[in-house]
Amino acid sequence: MPPKINPDFVEKILVRFIHDELAKCGCLKAVLGLSGGLDSAVCASLAARALGPPNVLGLVMPYGTSCPQDVRDAEKLARSLGIRSEVVDIAPQVDAYFSRLPAASRVRRGNKMARERMSVLYDRSALERAFVIGTSNKTELLIGYGTIYGDMACAINPMGDLYKTQIRDLAAHLRIPAAIRRKTPTAGLWPGQTDEGEIGLIYDELDEILHGLVDLKKSRKEIIGAGHKPARVDRVLRLVRGSEFKRRMPPIAKLSARSVGHDFLYPYDWGR
Amino acid sequence: MKVALAQFSARLGDVKANAAFHLDILDRAKRAKADLVVFPELSLTGYTLRDLAEEVALDPYSDPVFRRIVARCRGLSAVVGFMEERPAERGIFYNSAAFISGGRILHVHRKVFLPTNGMFDEARFYAAGRDFRPFDAPFGRAGLLICRDFLHYGANYALYAGGAEVIICASAAPGRGVAGGRAFETSRMWELMGEAMSYFSTAYVIYANRVGVEDGVTFAGGSFIYAPGGELLARAAYVEPELLVRRLDLSAVREARRKWVFKRDERPEAVLRSLERIVRAPED
Repeated sequence: MPPKINPDFVEKILVRFIHDELAKCGCLKAVLGLSGGLDSAVCASLAARALGPPNVLGLVMPYGTSCPQDVRDAEKLARSLGIRSEVVDIAPQVDAYFSRLPAASRVRRGNKMARERMSVLYDRSALERAFVIGTSNKTELLIGYGTIYGDMACAINPMGDLYKTQIRDLAAHLRIPAAIRRKTPTAGLWPGQTDEGEIGLIYDELDEILHGLVDLKKSRKEIIGAGHKPARVDRVLRLVRGSEFKRRMPPIAKLSARSVGHDFLYPYDWGR
Repeated sequence: MKVALAQFSARLGDVKANAAFHLDILDRAKRAKADLVVFPELSLTGYTLRDLAEEVALDPYSDPVFRRIVARCRGLSAVVGFMEERPAERGIFYNSAAFISGGRILHVHRKVFLPTNGMFDEARFYAAGRDFRPFDAPFGRAGLLICRDFLHYGANYALYAGGAEVIICASAAPGRGVAGGRAFETSRMWELMGEAMSYFSTAYVIYANRVGVEDGVTFAGGSFIYAPGGELLARAAYVEPELLVRRLDLSAVREARRKWVFKRDERPEAVLRSLERIVRAPED
């Protein structure tokens, strides 16, 4: 398993990260999507601690009335954290698009919803002069379990170096309500969808395999030797290799001596 | 002697703003009656420079901003980190630290060991220094190291063999590993080296690390002073900014060198002979 984190220390580091990165831009306000699930709850809690609850806006963006319990949980969480929240139903804009494309698959629809939420977040980010905080975790980033330019889009990502299982420990430390912590993880792309069902592995095993492959740089053989089924290890390897494009800026065709992304190399925090 | 460790963050690429901050800290240190202020690595520029390096590089002997800092160092000494480009070596950039005292630069150390692996990229942008030279500071013989230099024990040895009674390291060490206590796991590595080097060099070890966040990386803080004999004299907070001021008694070096005769019995010529043989040996 990934190592047990010291949640108190991790909270301190992440709160400082959120505060300092936004302070550098001269704007201590954040907006993020609240799904009613674990990751966005943890992220909202960290942002509230870093920026002060009134400076955090949680947007609850259901597709119509598909998941009323999630909306209730998200609103309840926002109230308990003291952050501002608003419900934006994305059904009208998604339905308008797909009304001419009735045969669209559920994956296409799910990705579209994720990108609609992104576009709402970025629009509100401009209106509020607030930064979009990303909620992708290390597990998702490594296997590419996210929609590129959808839920993966953000200004800063506080939780991208924490595995899902580590976020559970952080959530308990931050006193995220049990109703949210005990929920089955889902991207909410279609009714009945669960992360673990779609990935084909439970998070405990997935994180253990990823931690071995990535953090400890173990070989496929060593991971299998540690007791994981070859088919599962191969599946994880395939997911990781097949999703690098989601973790990088797109390659730029190099023509000149100094090109963006190749040898025009400035820090992200340039002059801040 | 009173030492101040300036455990702060820097504004990345903004030399003017950082210089103003240095002047402010120097004034604060003067009010605290400090004799020496140690700023972290690249304190004048920030750490994650990449292509910015050549835009913020300066000649410490002629740059007007740097001269203001040098002029302020009267009545106390300071170690200041900066990106160096000298007229005699235009277009060559060094990650350097200057020891300033009495309104002039007494010594400049250029980082020799440039970390270029994993998250580190220094040798891609900077040239490596070539020497570890102890020098005479107002309080005694001293030596400068920058960050990774400190983790190579040969660097410490060179200063010790050269008579340094005070080894000063300016650092910008990022924290990694959150499974431990109230510090990054990597902080232990630096403390272990500080303890060992102060013990076996029978010298003071002064380590100033920075804090703050750059491009998602958190610098670990935890600056420290070890007295000769491996005794932890003071340690600044982990991760949080702090101006740590502590008095240290340089007679402790004499005491330690009387008690433990490592320095008396040291044989740099034997080490040199061994090193020469190793360096000259053809590769197998």
